[in-house]
Amino acid sequence: MNNFILDIQNVTYSINSINYINNISLSLKAGDSLVIFGPEASGMTKLFDLIILANPEYEGDILYKGKSTKTLDYFEQLMHKRDIGYVHGDYGLLSNMTVEQNISLPLEYHSHLSAAEIREHVESIIYILNLDRCKNLRPINLSGSEILKTAFARAIVMDPDLLYIEHAFESHCPLNIKSITDFLSKRSERSDKSLILITYYPQNFINISNSFIMFFNDEIVFSGGREDFINSDNPYLIQYKNNSIKGPMAIL
Amino acid sequence: MLNRIIVYIGTKAISTYRDIMDFINYIISIILSLKSLKYMRFRSLYNTIINQTKFTGVDALIIVMIIALLLGGTIIIQALTSLPKFGVENFLGNLLVIIIVRELGPLATALIVIARSGSAIATEISVQKWSREILSMELVGIDTKLFIILPRIIASIISIGALIIIFDIVAFTGGYIISQTVIYIPMSDFGRIIIDAFTFKDITAALIKSLIFGIIIPTICCYYGLKPLSKFEIPIYVSKAVIRTLFVSIIVNIIVSVLFYL
Repeated sequence: MNNFILDIQNVTYSINSINYINNISLSLKAGDSLVIFGPEASGMTKLFDLIILANPEYEGDILYKGKSTKTLDYFEQLMHKRDIGYVHGDYGLLSNMTVEQNISLPLEYHSHLSAAEIREHVESIIYILNLDRCKNLRPINLSGSEILKTAFARAIVMDPDLLYIEHAFESHCPLNIKSITDFLSKRSERSDKSLILITYYPQNFINISNSFIMFFNDEIVFSGGREDFINSDNPYLIQYKNNSIKGPMAIL
Repeated sequence: MLNRIIVYIGTKAISTYRDIMDFINYIISIILSLKSLKYMRFRSLYNTIINQTKFTGVDALIIVMIIALLLGGTIIIQALTSLPKFGVENFLGNLLVIIIVRELGPLATALIVIARSGSAIATEISVQKWSREILSMELVGIDTKLFIILPRIIASIISIGALIIIFDIVAFTGGYIISQTVIYIPMSDFGRIIIDAFTFKDITAALIKSLIFGIIIPTICCYYGLKPLSKFEIPIYVSKAVIRTLFVSIIVNIIVSVLFYL
């Protein structure tokens, strides 16, 4: 019996006969941290439709904790989304709620914790992410990194087994979001918590992630561990790391 | 020419049919989402219910009272001065109850709520959709249909019910005071004829209207709030939300009146 938290099996995904993902297979064990990277329009962001939204319009199969996401009913789809912590580049904080209310919303909606327990739990996350100063402010009054931290806090407040972060850190000063990267480093040491990071800057997450996958043209062109990522002579990877237009990838 | 007219009518008919089917599907999806009720914690709706009740009910109180006062005063003056000319002054109480309690109170309150809160609900939801706030709620496993629409329906039922009662009270008492500047009628006589004219049916009809308005106003406004695909479409759908809610409310008012009093 494998202990895959996520198992993508020969998935091909197209909309209106345009291919977005072409025969992709990858799996993630509990405790694994995976970085997915590649140039724009390489297909990696479409994984969101399949893994998070559980859109069943694809060939192949995606198993989350051993169960096909194609077979989820209405309520199971909601629970599936609840089980995966997701942070995206648009953040989507609720503008009529304060930082504290945004973070506690999933707990207030789903959990059986009392109001006092929720407050205590949210306070601890606010402390870890350095959000004390702005916990009573609304998103309009926050800086970019504070918005990101609040969205991140909301994603981890239910302590999800899988955290899926998509292009969330690209436009932030590393210093301002150090509390997040520190949290991710600690989290990556746990054997029951997994992470998928979609990014254009994989080298920033070498210390956090233990496996790397590169997408190009809707396919996986590189896959390997940390050492492979650093030392591999894969021509796609070399071209990407060198930020060069010369190589096997024709970049528009 | 005839062909063009037929094509135009056909296109409009198909478009209307599609709109109606889309709205029916929306209603079905709300009903289906009710099964999430047993899995969600009701406390997560408190904030929205309180804010929406404050905005729809408390904040609208002044404008509702002013309109009730003015309309009540006008109707009472007209009734007190005109009815004796036709020799039917004995029906003063019945006439005022029919006009104010049965028709004007619920309808005028609904119109004020549509103009203030209906437009605000449609705008808020469409902006939340555009800024991906609704998607974010979905991504933490929140049943957005339930989370967005249910608290607004609860708040609207509470607010509209309370506003209709306040409208009626202010229209009668304030209207009576205003009418004293034109024609004198003792307070005790006025009070007695109004109370005598009241029936249980009047109160039930007003409450049922407030319940139906409380459901249809946020439901239709949320429907149009969820429609825009870009921010440029927001004003178009907000305008549609207000006009169509207005139209449906007037139709509903007529239907309830017919069912109760014919």
